[in-house]
Amino acid sequence: MKTIIEIELRQRIRGIGWWVMLGIWTLGIALITLFTLIILGTTDSGDSSAWLYSTIVLFSLLMATLVIPALSGGSINGDRQEGTLATTQVTLVSTGQIVLGKFLAAWLCSLAFVATATPFLVIAALREGINPVVVIVSLAVLIAEMGIISGIGVGMSGLMPRQLFSVVSTYLMVALLTIGTPIIFALLVGTTVTHKETTVRSYSLDDYGSSCDEVTIEDRSYARSDRYWWILAANPFVVLADATPATFNDGYVEGLLGGLKLAVRQAQIPPEMPDTINYCEENDYSDGGDDENTVNTTVPSWFVGLGLHVLIAGAFLAGAVRKTRTPARTLPRGQRIA
Amino acid sequence: MTISSSVPGLPTPPPPVLTGITVQHVARSFGGVHAVRDISFTAHPGKVTALVGPNGSGKTTLILMLATLLAPDSGTITVNGIDPVTHPRAVRAVMGWMPDALGVWSALTVRRTLLTAAKLYQLPTATIPQRVDEVLNSVGLTALAEQPTHVLSRGQKQKLSLARALIHHPAVLLLDEPASGLDPEARIELRQMVRSLAAQGTTILISSHVLSELDEMADDAVFINEGVSASAEAVIAATSSAREWRIGALQPQALHTALTEFGIPYTLDPVTGAASVLIANETAAAELLGRLITHGVTIHSYQQAVGRLEHTFLDLKRGTAQ
Repeated sequence: MKTIIEIELRQRIRGIGWWVMLGIWTLGIALITLFTLIILGTTDSGDSSAWLYSTIVLFSLLMATLVIPALSGGSINGDRQEGTLATTQVTLVSTGQIVLGKFLAAWLCSLAFVATATPFLVIAALREGINPVVVIVSLAVLIAEMGIISGIGVGMSGLMPRQLFSVVSTYLMVALLTIGTPIIFALLVGTTVTHKETTVRSYSLDDYGSSCDEVTIEDRSYARSDRYWWILAANPFVVLADATPATFNDGYVEGLLGGLKLAVRQAQIPPEMPDTINYCEENDYSDGGDDENTVNTTVPSWFVGLGLHVLIAGAFLAGAVRKTRTPARTLPRGQRIA
Repeated sequence: MTISSSVPGLPTPPPPVLTGITVQHVARSFGGVHAVRDISFTAHPGKVTALVGPNGSGKTTLILMLATLLAPDSGTITVNGIDPVTHPRAVRAVMGWMPDALGVWSALTVRRTLLTAAKLYQLPTATIPQRVDEVLNSVGLTALAEQPTHVLSRGQKQKLSLARALIHHPAVLLLDEPASGLDPEARIELRQMVRSLAAQGTTILISSHVLSELDEMADDAVFINEGVSASAEAVIAATSSAREWRIGALQPQALHTALTEFGIPYTLDPVTGAASVLIANETAAAELLGRLITHGVTIHSYQQAVGRLEHTFLDLKRGTAQ
C-alpha cells in the first residue's frame, strides 16, 4: 500500500493542476487574512476577539470543500481511463489496498493545504492570544473533515465510470452537507410552527391615560428549531465550530467559530410558550451576555456529526472497493476493465 | 499493511503445477453482447500458443479472464492448475500480462515504473534493482531508463509494457497484440525473446492479427471467431484443405505451357508472370515441382501463397460463413 501511496503522490505532484490549486488556496487565505485585518482595524474590536483566527479556520474548511473534490474525485476512474488501474490490479496488491492507498494519498495531499494555511493561523493565534487547545482542536477537526471529503471523492471515483460525474457527485455530496443541511433545517422549521392560544395583557389608551386592562386572546406561532437542530449537526462547519472550545468575553461568545457554535446551541432551546404574556411588566435585562450559560446548558453534537461523516466516507470507500474488485462479474454499461 | 500469503477463512490455493493454461467452454457476455460464447483450448508450458481471430472475436475478453480481471459467466479456467476466479492472487503471482491498451504512469521514469511494478509484485527488495536492469536490458530500454514515460513512442511504451509483464519471472505470459507499434527490428527482437522464454519453460499465449508474424513464433494456435473457438477437427480439416501455391519461373511462358499440358488450372499474376495453383497437400506440391523441373521449366520460387495460420484462419472463416 505504501507503493500505491507513493505512485499517487508522485503522479499528483507532477500534475500542474495540483500546484494551481495550491496557489489559489494560498492566495485565498492571504486575501481573507488581509480583509479581516482591515475590517477589524476599522471596527476597533480589539485584538482579543478571536475573529481573525476563527475566520481563517472556517475559510480553510470552505476552501477544502471546493478544492478536495476536484483532486480526489477522479482518482480511480481516472486511472482506469489512463489504463494504469488494470496493470496495478493484476499485481499482488488487493483492491482494498488500492482504494485505501488512493484515499490516504488524497488525504496526505490535502495536508499540504493545511500546511500553507498554518503560517496565517499561527500569526492570527499569536495576535489574538488564542488558547493552544482551540488551535489544536480546530486544526484536528479541519484535517479530519478533509479526510472525509477525500474519502467521499475517492469512493465516488470508484463507484462511477466517468471522472466528470464522480467529481460533480462529490461536489453535490459535500454541498448536501454544507449547504443542504441549513436549507433543509430552515424549510422544516419554517413549515412546522407550533400554534398556541395566548392571553395577552397590554396597556390600553383611553381618556384617563393608560391602564393595563387590555386583554386579548391571540393565536401565537412559534418556530420549533429545537425539533430539527440535529440536522445542522451534520454540517461540517457546525462540526468544526461545535468541537472547538468557545471562549467568552464578559459572557459573550468570541469569534466566528464561537458565534456559529452559539447559534446551533440556541437552536436546541425550545421557545418559551407562556399561557399569558403581560406587556405591562418590565422585562429585566441583565448587564452581561448569557452565551456562556447557553453553551454550558445545551448538548454538544460535533461527535455525532463527525461520526456520521466518517460513516458516509467509509460507505463510499467500501462501495468503491466492491465495485472495483476483480475478477469482475458485472461491469457498468460502457465501462471497460482495461 | 502487509499481505499474508494465505488469507484466513479462504481455502489455501493448491500448489502450482506447471500445466499451462486450460480453458473449457468459457463464456462471457456484457449486457446483451456475447463477447465470448464457447472457448476451449490448452496452452502448454514451453510452447507459444497463438490466439488468432478477427477484431471483435473475443480475444481480449478471453485474455482479461485469464488475467484475473474478468470472471467468466460459465466454464472453467486454470492457470498452472489454479482457478483465477477463486484464487486470483495465486494466479497473479505466476502470470505476466501485457495489455493491448497502453497505460503508463506518466509522471514516472521508465526505471521508476519498473521498480514500482516490482514492489507491487512483492519481489525481495534487495533483488529489485538488479531485476529491473535485467528486464530493461532484455527489452532494449536501458538507454531510456531515466526518461519520463510520457516521452516514449508507442513502440517504446510497448517494450515497457512487456518489461513490466516480465518483471516477476512469470511462468505464464499473456501477450495481447504485443507487436503493434513495433518497428521491424523490434519485432524480430520480440520474436527471439518470446522463443527464448518458451525455451525456458514459460507458457506463452499471444494474440495478434498479423498472422505471418505469429506463423514464425507459434507452436500451437487457437482460432476464435465470434467468440467461439474452432474445434480440433475443424482446424485439422482446414489445415489439410487445398492451398494456394505460387510458382515463379525464369521463362513464364514455359511454365504456363507446362501447366496447361499437365491439365492443371492456374491463375496468372499479370505483373510478375507467376502462376497460382491450388494444391491439395504437400506431397502433391513436391510431386508437381518434380514434374515441372523434369519438364525443363526453370523454377526460381515455389511457395505457399499464404502462411500456415492465415490459410487455416481463412479456411475456418469460410467454413463458418457457409
